[in-house]
Amino acid sequence: MSDTPMTAAPPATDAAAADRMPTESRWAGLKRFVRTQPMGAVSALVILVFIVLAFGASMIAPHDPLAQDRTAILQGPSAAHLLGSDDLGRDVLSRIMHGSQISLYVGTMTIMISLLLGATLGIASGYLGGPVDAVLQGFIDAMLSIPPLILALFIASLLGPSVQNVIAALAVLTVPRFARIARGEMLRIKSEDFISAAVVLGASRTRIMLRHGLPNMVPSLIVVASLGFGTVIVAEAALTFLGIGTPPPNPSWGLMLSQGATYFQVAPWMIVFPGLAISATVLAFNLLGDALRDFFDPKLVR
Amino acid sequence: MLQMFLRRLAYGFLILNIMTITLFVVVRLIPGDPVRAQLGDAAVSPERIKQITAEFGLDRPVWEQLASWYTGAVRGDFGTSYSLGRPVGEVVFARLPLTIELTFIAVALAVTIGLLMGVVSAVRRNGWLDNVLRVTAVTGLSVPNFWLGLLLITFSSVVLRWVPPLEYRGFFTDPVANLAQMAMPAAALGVVLAASIARLSRSSMLEVLGADFVRTLRAKGAPERVVLFKHALRNSMLPVLTLIGVQLGALLGGTVILEQVFALPGLGRTVFEAVNNRDYPLLQMCVLLYGAIFIVVNIVVDMCYGWVNPRMRRAD
Repeated sequence: MSDTPMTAAPPATDAAAADRMPTESRWAGLKRFVRTQPMGAVSALVILVFIVLAFGASMIAPHDPLAQDRTAILQGPSAAHLLGSDDLGRDVLSRIMHGSQISLYVGTMTIMISLLLGATLGIASGYLGGPVDAVLQGFIDAMLSIPPLILALFIASLLGPSVQNVIAALAVLTVPRFARIARGEMLRIKSEDFISAAVVLGASRTRIMLRHGLPNMVPSLIVVASLGFGTVIVAEAALTFLGIGTPPPNPSWGLMLSQGATYFQVAPWMIVFPGLAISATVLAFNLLGDALRDFFDPKLVR
Repeated sequence: MLQMFLRRLAYGFLILNIMTITLFVVVRLIPGDPVRAQLGDAAVSPERIKQITAEFGLDRPVWEQLASWYTGAVRGDFGTSYSLGRPVGEVVFARLPLTIELTFIAVALAVTIGLLMGVVSAVRRNGWLDNVLRVTAVTGLSVPNFWLGLLLITFSSVVLRWVPPLEYRGFFTDPVANLAQMAMPAAALGVVLAASIARLSRSSMLEVLGADFVRTLRAKGAPERVVLFKHALRNSMLPVLTLIGVQLGALLGGTVILEQVFALPGLGRTVFEAVNNRDYPLLQMCVLLYGAIFIVVNIVVDMCYGWVNPRMRRAD
């Protein structure tokens, strides 16, 4: 995730990219990002920490996240348990560290699926127009009219509690949003001169969509992906909190909150710290998304 | 204007039908036995199960079930809840007011606080107050509303030693108790919207404040108060209105989880139970209602455009 600014450098080959510093190398682009968007750079660093934590949880965590200790139940933060212990004497800090794995996994998978599907649908819908567009837009409008959490709840509940099903449910939620952005971008790009030129030169529709449409909407898609990542993390926690998401005993942030909700009066640390972990991660993704948007479109900076 | 209204209404109606039919077919295609879900762990003979399946009409082909749902719906009969045994219309309309009240209070709070933050930010652009408010807003966007709800109730019970009345009271039977119960969930629900309003109104205020007509106003000596509140704020209200329409879905979704956290018997709880109990008619009704509310509010928002900005009236 941290290297998104590099891959995001607009393709130098395309005519429309001419006003976006076409000759800039990836490395120079990254340096310019760090210089002009310090908040974004810090957020990228936070996200990097989050990723390292997720991969290295079993090595870094002070305790086994599943190990119960009947002698240390519901203890407040101390030297033995930095962020306290839960109702089964499990270490809250270790559980938060391991919980990042599920958030990262669900977030990455969901965003990748919705990028792939959403961009495909949106590009096709925007470029082809006509009946394809009309039908697709009808379905997308119908899906966007149902409150997102209820849609996810419904799908996850029908499919049964498992990580894969949570991803499926959340992807159904985010695909229409990506499709809408991609469609709007495709409509904008479609009216550019270089598309007419490609048509005149006899490029096939697939080639125009993939070689001319897609590369020119990469910046917008990256911004939406970064902001969407945060939304997905919150939604996963919400589903799990309601008992329909990631099943126990896998430590996940949503599960920790729902278990902590029972003990909030005697052990507030059980809900305070997992919630802080969610908020900090989501904040980092939101700030990164903001920074990327300003970076790609300097006209918006005020 | 009227033509546009009618066209939007017709499209909304079409969308509701797509939604209804898709949901109807999908719940019946995906595995999951509603009859078993109603019976729980009770040991029941296969004959009895067959009988209940027939009672629910689930033994007939999907298209036939759909046709009978539609024949009922046009007469105002949306079916009988599997788990409660009562007409779903009755169940849903008894619980709807709570959710509407909760959402309404959340929106009112969010608009008040969000606009205030946005205007102050725009006026004090790049000052320390602006920076504080912007950080507050982006943080507000990132905090899960149910966690905020949990924090509020923890804080009020542990520190203030106060918890809202446990048993739900309607607004008209006991307004004080009702508002005491609504305050925390509504505040938690409104935070994300308040944060987005603050961000949006800041940028649209800045845009308007840089417009020619504002320079003219100032040049002719209009007091800053008039420039800000009568002209700039009014002109930057349009995007905020749209935002409220767009975010309504997220708000209504948020009520599901906050009603759960605060044990409020509203529509959000009902839809959650309907999903868990595989109560198809109840679920169908809830989703239809949510969709209708979303679509109607968004049409109203678009109509408000014409009211706030007279130029839009002739645009279509």
